[in-house]
Amino acid sequence: MFAIHSTEQLLKAVALACAALSVGIGVWYLIRRPHLHRVTKTMLLFGLGVFPGIVSLTGNIASFEYTLSRPFCGSCHVMGPYLRDAEDPKSNSLAALHSRNHKFGENSCYTCHADYQMFGAVTTKLNGMRHLFEYVTAYANTGPDGEGGPPIHLYKPFKSEACMQCHSTTGRKYLEQHGDSVEQIRSGQMGCIDCHNEVHPLALSRRPVAKKEAAR
Amino acid sequence: MKHQLAKKMVLFSVIGTIVAMIFMASSIVFPHPLALVFAMSVGQGIAVLALSLYLFAVALDLQSSGGAYIPLEEAPAEETSEPPAA
Repeated sequence: MFAIHSTEQLLKAVALACAALSVGIGVWYLIRRPHLHRVTKTMLLFGLGVFPGIVSLTGNIASFEYTLSRPFCGSCHVMGPYLRDAEDPKSNSLAALHSRNHKFGENSCYTCHADYQMFGAVTTKLNGMRHLFEYVTAYANTGPDGEGGPPIHLYKPFKSEACMQCHSTTGRKYLEQHGDSVEQIRSGQMGCIDCHNEVHPLALSRRPVAKKEAAR
Repeated sequence: MKHQLAKKMVLFSVIGTIVAMIFMASSIVFPHPLALVFAMSVGQGIAVLALSLYLFAVALDLQSSGGAYIPLEEAPAEETSEPPAA
């Protein structure tokens, strides 16, 4: 039985229902070929305008919501090792620890890697288009986890602002543990991952081949 | 003449919309990145083109009939499925 548990699923159901109605009206027109009188025109206005409009709107929102999720990020094969580690209940990597946190949940990739600005979502999705281009051009037929492709790296250094969305750097325990480094961390001179660097231990960039290439 | 052209345009518009709906629905059911990008760019482009074509066809049809209202019962004979009376 098909059950709806989230807004994303509801939007998907609405989009699919409207797509079915639109196709139904189209097929009816193709089979019957009625005269273009007022009723036909009104039916076609719904079939070609109103229902596709709803599909477009709800489909876009549902698709955007899905692109924030971990399964979407992991649907490109080069992300396999990252996804497996993040979903491993025994892993102690930062990615896995954060993925187990219900506040991140399914959206753990996006929460940490999205740009933290006014237009952060837009710039992140534009980067996503670049990911797709790189994936199609550089990583096609490069093995099950993309081992034959070039090492994966971030386009720009990881900013600690992403960590500071939750770790405010003002808590008493935080101040005790980070001592003199706090000001450097806040100003961006020192990054969180400079010390907390077990983020993606299975990442391709950590493999011996990639390390050799990086050393050249 | 204009009426026939309008009917042809509506036909293309309907086919275009069906194709676009199939793209969009398949990207919702199987949300692979490539399918999503294809559906939300090419699919939506086809749907917008199809709607524009339909609206243009309606305008053309109204122009050819002078905007006159054609009641259902007065539809042209070739459109009805009944055989002609002997």
